[in-house]
Formats: sequence, C-alpha cells, structure tokens
Amino acid sequence: MKKIIFFFFISILGYSQNQMPNIELNAISGESVNLSTDFNEVDKLYVFSFWATWCAPCINELEAMHKKYDTWKESLNVEIIAVSIDDSRTQKRVKPFLNGKGWTYNVLLDSNQELKRALSIVNVPYTIVVKNSKIVYVSNGYSQGSEEELFNKLKEL
Amino acid sequence: MRILTYILAFSFSFLFVNGQDKKNKGRFFGGFETNAQRYLKFENNENSPEYFRSNNYLQLNYEINKWTFGMQVESYEKQALLNYYPGFDGTNVATYFAKYKAKKFEATAGYFYEQYGSGMILRAWEDRSLGINTALRGGKIFYKPTKDIKFKAFYGQQRTGFKVSEGQLYGFDIEANLSDWFSFQESDLEIGFSNVNRYQKIDEALIANPSFSPTTNAFSFRTSFTQGIFYSALEANYKSKDATMNRITNAISNQFINDGNAIQLNLGVAKDGLGIDLTLRRTENMLFTSERIPKAIGLNQSSLDYFDKVINFTPALTKQHHSNLANIYVYQAQAGVEFKSNEIMKSGETGGQIDVVYEFAKDTKLGGKYGTKVALNYASWYNLPGTYRAVPAKYETNFFGVGEKYFSDLNLEVKKQFSENTRASFLYVNQYYNKPWVEDASQDVNTHIFYSELIYNFTKSRSIRIDAEHMWADADFKNWIGGSLEYNFNEKFSLYTLDLVNYGNTKDSEEKKKHYLTVGGAYRKGATRIALGYGRQRGGLVCVGGVCRFVPESTGISLSFNTAF
Repeated sequence: MKKIIFFFFISILGYSQNQMPNIELNAISGESVNLSTDFNEVDKLYVFSFWATWCAPCINELEAMHKKYDTWKESLNVEIIAVSIDDSRTQKRVKPFLNGKGWTYNVLLDSNQELKRALSIVNVPYTIVVKNSKIVYVSNGYSQGSEEELFNKLKEL
Repeated sequence: MRILTYILAFSFSFLFVNGQDKKNKGRFFGGFETNAQRYLKFENNENSPEYFRSNNYLQLNYEINKWTFGMQVESYEKQALLNYYPGFDGTNVATYFAKYKAKKFEATAGYFYEQYGSGMILRAWEDRSLGINTALRGGKIFYKPTKDIKFKAFYGQQRTGFKVSEGQLYGFDIEANLSDWFSFQESDLEIGFSNVNRYQKIDEALIANPSFSPTTNAFSFRTSFTQGIFYSALEANYKSKDATMNRITNAISNQFINDGNAIQLNLGVAKDGLGIDLTLRRTENMLFTSERIPKAIGLNQSSLDYFDKVINFTPALTKQHHSNLANIYVYQAQAGVEFKSNEIMKSGETGGQIDVVYEFAKDTKLGGKYGTKVALNYASWYNLPGTYRAVPAKYETNFFGVGEKYFSDLNLEVKKQFSENTRASFLYVNQYYNKPWVEDASQDVNTHIFYSELIYNFTKSRSIRIDAEHMWADADFKNWIGGSLEYNFNEKFSLYTLDLVNYGNTKDSEEKKKHYLTVGGAYRKGATRIALGYGRQRGGLVCVGGVCRFVPESTGISLSFNTAF
C-alpha cells in the first residue's frame, strides 16, 4: 500500500510544472491580489519571501535583502514580496513592525495560511522566485548569507 | 485499500478533465511531510508504549483552468507522535476538495479552511505541529461583486480525527470597504459582519426537558479605520445562550446556561523607524465547539485538551519569544468558562498588550554605523472580575476592572550590528505566570530571563550562531541555564547543539537536575529539507502562535523531512 502511494508520488513529480496557485490574498495596503495573475510582467523576477513577525531567521533574511535591495534593483528587474503568515495573534503587529524596520516590500497577508498550505510550505522562512508565471527557484529555509546565493541565482535566471 | 481507490478516482477525474481540454493539460502540485521519532525512553511508564511513531502528510492537487482538485492523505504509523489527539490513528484520506475559482466568484466542495474576521467566532485551520486540523466538510462560496464588497457563506461539519463531528455549522460573512463611498483620499474605512450558527441535537436521554436551544448563534461585527500613520480596529462578538460545559464533570446541565461575548480594540501608529501597537481584549465564555460535550480521554483529559472540535480561535496576545527559557511559562488565552475548584473559577479573560518598535538611525549616537533596533513589549492578562459560586455553578461578571491575575510579560529586545560580519541581540524578560490558574500546579511563578545571541559570518555563507540564556524563577522548577550553538557550513548544511539545564530544581530528586541536551543537523536543497536530531525533549508545552500542546518528556531520535513539488 505504502509503496503504491510512493510510486504514485514519484510518478507525478514528472508532471509537475509549477506556477503560483490561483489564490487571492490581501495586501497590507488593503487591495486584494491574485497570486497567479497579478505577478506576470514579462521577464520580471518576483521573489516571494514567506515570513512571520515571530520568526527570527525570516527577519534576518528580509533584513539582509533589504540592505541589498537597491543594488539588486540596479542590475535586475526584481521585486520582493514579503508574504506574512502571521495569524490573528500577531497580524496586528505586522504594520508597526514594517515601519519600525523601514522595509519597503510589498507585503501580503496569508492570515489563515491558504497560500502556505497550497504551496505545501511546512516552515518559514521559505523563498520562491517566479519568472514569466513559472516557479523557477525555491529555497526551503534561510541561513546567514543565503541571500548572496539567491542573488547569484537571480542573475542566472 | 480505500486510499488506493481514492487516489485512482482522483487520477481518473484528472484524466477526465484533462480529456476535455487538449490544449491545457493542467498541472499537479503538492507536498510531502514526515516527522518521525524513535523513542528510547519514556518518562512516564506507559503501558506497552509504541517506540516508533511518525506523522506523515501527503498533499496532492491538480489545477486546470478554473478548477482545482486536491486531497491530503495522513498516516500515523505505528502511532501518532506523543500526545497527539488519539483520533489521529492509522492511514487514510483526511481531506479532499474541488474548487472553482473565477474572477468574482469562488466555490469549494469537500473539505475547506476558513476564517471570518480575526477568527473569534470562526476559524477552521490546520497546524500539523500542534495536531490541529479543524477543516470543515461541506461547501463554501465567495463572491466579490465589486472590488469593495466581499461575501462569504458556508455549511459544514467539522473534522475530528478521520471523522466529522455531529454538530452542523452554517455561516456567512460580509465585508465592505467604504473609503470610496465616503470619497476618502488619505483614509481607509472597512466594516464587516459575520454570523456562525451551530446546530447540535440535544440528547434528551442525557438532558431531559432542555432549557436551552439546540442552535447556538454567534455574531461578530468589526470595523477598521486608517488615517495616515494612525490605524485602529474594533471587533465585537456575541454568542447566544447555551449550556456551559462543566470541565470537572465533563457534562452539561439545565442549570448552567450562559451567553458569551468578546470585544477587542486595536490602536496603532506606524511611521518610518517607529511603530506602536496597543491591543485590549475582553473575552467572556467564548469557547465555541461543534459538540457541546468533549470526548473524555483517559481519566484526566478530554478532546478539548487537543483543540478538537473548537470552532473559533482566541489567540494569546503576548509576544512569542525565540528564547528557549522564555518559552517555559507560556500564556494560553483563557477564552472560556472553567471552574476547577472552589477557589479557581474562570469565566474568561481581560487585559492587553502594547508593542513599541523603534530604530535608532545609522550614524547617530545610539544608532552607530549600522543602526540599532529596539523592541519593547508588555502584556498583562486577568480573570474577569465579578461574583462566582462553585456549587451550583454560577457567575456574574463586571465589564470593567480585572480579577485574579493570570499572566504578565515585560520584555525589551535590542538588536545591533557591530560590523559587516558581526550582529548581536539582547533580550530581557520579566514574567509572572499564575500556574495554578492557567495550568495545574500549587504555586505561581515570577521569572527574570536574560538572553543574548551572537551571529558571526566567516565567509558569505559560512557562519556561526551562539546564544546563552539564564532564567531566575522563584518557584516551580526554579532556575535554568541554557545555550545553543549553530554552525552553518554553507547554504545547504548546518549542525546545532542545544542544552538546557534545570540546575535550580529542588522539587524532584537529584536525578531531575539534568541536562536537556539535543544535537542535530539539517540539510536543505531547493524545496526539500531534511533534519535529524537526537536528544532529550523537555516535558511541557509546545506552543505555536499562542496555542500550546502538552508534550511529555522523552528521549529519542527524530527525523523530519519535507518537500514540495
């Protein structure tokens, strides 16, 4: 039985052709955005960074990218979108937090974790890069300095 | 065998849909997660315990045009990890759904998750690490006629283990943004209203001539207003009269009938470099479950201890610390009525939390070359003031004021970068935890915690993280010391070790003053992460997002693996 599931699981890996799911979320600015249709400017790199106000490595990652964001934007057509998975316990804290940090990212609120679930994300930090509506790069976690690796990847994509 | 049937049916439905549209083949996506433990020693000698346990989740979705079909298979073999809800047993299809989504309209049949407002009357959600899955089985719709109006409705029965609960739930929610209506330029005004209705037949063999209705109605009104750098939100909730569960006898009666309510106010300022956020909340008898009487588990527990069949969500409004010792005395929101003895009678909670976040800019005296970030947080929670009577149970509360103190936490965190390679953070925490009222114990506890963390980069991707902490506690298990070290070889591979020592323990024998030592490593590549650990897990509450699960102490080897495709 387990073997059958396993083979089924392996066989569909070949079929998977990843895009962002057809899901709508609210941005912190108030408007709703559709993940599969609102981020598809031709050849633009969209970096979706999943985070939460209580997640220290997530904040380190966004902080590290924040420092390099201007330099990145000079050489690439790139946009960073910070997807907060904070639920109603900590969601109210997102706004003051962003301002306290001075981050200029577009922030989306995945408050009941619909997007996180659809993408089978188990833990944050988690980063997804989308280009021409295709998921071209995924990073499950963050360690000090991985934003450099990400930048090198972005240059290749 | 049943699972195979489901999977085949699922694949055929995919082929069928696929056959209809030759151009767009659609796509598969999903993920797999496993958390396995080989326990070496159980602290409390269970009868014939299972030493190998694992929780496994396989999620499969297929999306084509406006349709998405999905399912989740869960497997708890040979048994679920320690202290998960006993309903999570064996291997089976746990959830499945079909969703249609157009630009303005969306409909889902099967299992779904949902949240209205902040979740104080409805939140169906999943948290695997806590063993919570309160998905609803039925149908829901979403309709957005204009960009400013959203309408939602659902009908469903709540998932419990691999079954669904008896209670039937209906609900709707409407949310409108009125900014354009009032022609606001700089401001934003939003309002929302929801209603959730639970029907559970009253078993007249247990309660003859019930003096309460089989239907319980919950209403919620919310509004939020933003003007420039200021924002505010208000939410008011009401739950109609219903039999209140007596948690001592795990029973209901015609004599203890109460309604419930909750009010929450949030105010804040957000500008460059500064954020202030204040939340006040008062909650009375707001435990809302899909079945009135929880299932008894063993002698001392019920399904409520596992958040089973809970319809709404009342998070603990306190700061979630990343220090290990600051997570020993964690507050859990006291939303419902709970009479534990002649002395301890709770009807809810009242209190608040404030956060101040400030950044001292670069090249200032306190900011230094890289800037300094400071975060101050204070939270304090109390029982509702009023009169309480244990037998027969009765209470009457006052709206203003506070009752017995449950918890407080005052903390200050400073984060500073010293050079290109070196960053550090310092945290001070002062907690008060009324353990007899919030959990079960004889003494309340006052703590002071100092925590510091240092991150040093050898090269761009090779780094080390060290933290050290100490907790002074005046009661319970007394003083602790702890530290951890994490070495990142590169982006993909890291090793860690963590030790917590309860050196102040005078409660138990010498043997109890022991190390909780863990070592482990993690490897990640793309969407896949694998981690292996060995060590002793401290018994106590494991908390995620203010919701906690009690885990007994254990020693063992753990393996976790997750991937997405």
